[in-house]
Amino acid sequence: MKILVLVKRVIDYNVRVRVKSDASGVETDGVKMSINPFDEIALEEALRLREAGHAEEVLVVSMGSEACQQQLRTALAMGADRAIHLATDDALQPLSAARVIKALIEREQPGIVLLGKQAIDNDNNQTGQMLAALWQRPQATNAAKVELADGSVRVTREVDDGLEVLELQLPAVITTDLRLNTPRFVKLPDIMKAKKKPLDVLAITELQADIDADAEQALQISDWQAPPKRGGGIKVDSVDALVAELKSRGLV
Amino acid sequence: MSDIDKLWLHQHLPGIQASQQADDLASYGSDWSRLREPAPAAVLFPQHQEQVAQIIDCANREGLALVPSGGRTGLSGGAIAADGELVLSLERMRQLDPVNHADASVRVEAGVVTASIQQQAERAGLFYGVDFAAAGSSQIGGNIATNAGGIRVLRYGLTRDQVLGLEAVSGKGELLQLNHGLIKNATGYDLRHLLIGSEGTLAVITAATLKLWPDPGERQVLLLAVDGHQALLPLFMAARQALRLSAFEFFTHDCVRHVCAHAGLPPPLEQAAGMYVLLECDAVSDEQVAALFEQLVEQQLVSDGVISQSRQHAQQLWQYRERISESIAAQRPYKNDIAVRIAAVPELLQQLDELIQRHYPAFEVLWYGHIGDGNIHMNVLKPDDLSPAAFKQQCELVNEQVFDCIQRLAGSISAEHGVGLLKQPWLQYSRTPVEIDIMRRIKSVLDPGGILNPGKLL
Repeated sequence: MKILVLVKRVIDYNVRVRVKSDASGVETDGVKMSINPFDEIALEEALRLREAGHAEEVLVVSMGSEACQQQLRTALAMGADRAIHLATDDALQPLSAARVIKALIEREQPGIVLLGKQAIDNDNNQTGQMLAALWQRPQATNAAKVELADGSVRVTREVDDGLEVLELQLPAVITTDLRLNTPRFVKLPDIMKAKKKPLDVLAITELQADIDADAEQALQISDWQAPPKRGGGIKVDSVDALVAELKSRGLV
Repeated sequence: MSDIDKLWLHQHLPGIQASQQADDLASYGSDWSRLREPAPAAVLFPQHQEQVAQIIDCANREGLALVPSGGRTGLSGGAIAADGELVLSLERMRQLDPVNHADASVRVEAGVVTASIQQQAERAGLFYGVDFAAAGSSQIGGNIATNAGGIRVLRYGLTRDQVLGLEAVSGKGELLQLNHGLIKNATGYDLRHLLIGSEGTLAVITAATLKLWPDPGERQVLLLAVDGHQALLPLFMAARQALRLSAFEFFTHDCVRHVCAHAGLPPPLEQAAGMYVLLECDAVSDEQVAALFEQLVEQQLVSDGVISQSRQHAQQLWQYRERISESIAAQRPYKNDIAVRIAAVPELLQQLDELIQRHYPAFEVLWYGHIGDGNIHMNVLKPDDLSPAAFKQQCELVNEQVFDCIQRLAGSISAEHGVGLLKQPWLQYSRTPVEIDIMRRIKSVLDPGGILNPGKLL
């Protein structure tokens, strides 16, 4: 079986994100970029499934500008077998992204598509679900445990009132939650090996995906703003003053 | 001094905030060394330099001892007040000025927490060069008084190398403004450097102007498996040649075992190594790092390794080094913090290893430290069946031989933890009688009444 893992290039989780001075977006120049942490978890899970003998190949795919090849190289160094860069200079909406991936799935015929439940840049939490719908295959979102048996997969999800266990027929889409696993570090001996692994570039236009211009226009970002600065606290001299202050603000 | 009460404080130190509550006395009278039971008479919280001078004048008049006090994260007992002293806490003097962009510096009062200087620098796109595990609790006044080191000394130097200006009150009560933030100033004795590392025995530091560095940009962390300590020095030299290093730390597998158990972390590498090196450097290309790794494997210096690809991974890798100290804190380790020239590190490790085998065969000894600074931390863990007193006594018996060995190698018995109470009896292993006599004479000029931190250092 082949596992297809989607990895998105995003601003590193630990970077303090700044809005550009002209409010046209967030600053990415000279900012550390990394694999979306949820996608990294998806990749780790795929590697573990392959190491357990459930899959023969882990294919990583990233969509975007040439820069995302850097994240694909990292994924190859972590242990993926092959990479495809879906080249586009547009930042596609989740629906269009799902349509492109669907077109790639026709070519690659994976048994499982694994991806993060959301990317930490736009927090859409949509691509996996839309992809499953377009593909007309089962989906399990926010996976906290993934167990494979012949032809099916059991996925445990952490839900509000406990654990929910789904059993899905393959092929299927699985999106990963934070506690599924802890991704491995990149081993130094694997950095050179990663250089020799295939990384194919495919323009998304070549895939003839059915990208709907209307859908791309449906949602437009008009403005970006930093969160308002927190107001400073005040000091009170006594419990009475504290109670009075809380009352005056209608908090007690 | 038992007659120091609320009324006494009110009459002798009007306008100065003070506390004699039992929990304050216990907390402000101690530091992380917990060497002695705290028993100060009171804790004072001056709010500006004049109040510090007022307290010093009063102490001279009344013949009272003062213990200058910061974040109390010290490991040598330099901030302990166990004999009815007045603790002079600088924590209410915590003004953190805006960054001076033209000078690339920032003026901070003594009570500013070390980590908040870094935050202030980062907001201005700059960088403060000193960092260590206790930076979230320690205060800059204490850092300066002990010339704190830490993990990035090999790139940015010690706290001493960051201080462009110093404000202090001498033990005689004189207000000092030293060097005024100047870079060049060839006008005689640099008194600023006399106060740095003086452990509160000459003056009370009230504020400093600190140098800030350009933003170092992206850095990567490598964790390497090393077979034995004979590989450490050649590995350091090769890494220094190939990379722009900002840290080069080593620790043994036992350290990793404790950290993993304490923090619930997975082992960093698939196969356990005898020793690990964690290095941090400016971001490198895959080709560069792969070539270096191949070379190190060929020279049989390194057998395996991982590299961070995100800041998260870099932080996770640092945990294997930074959490060693807390992971063994419950076992009350006997700590030795020693240094030799970098070139003498292998010899020191060799000799100490033999010493330990001979004298502490039953004790678990953990080794870690900053190879790039020639600084080794040797931690002896207390066996469960030994009383703390008996354990301390046995450790001190071996100290003499450890320090003998350091003396032969012209090293330091306290690399970055200071002398305080803990190393005071051993000072002569690192400083000559002539030097110690000169130190005493200097003290008598700046603190003629002997009121500042008596019993510490000298």
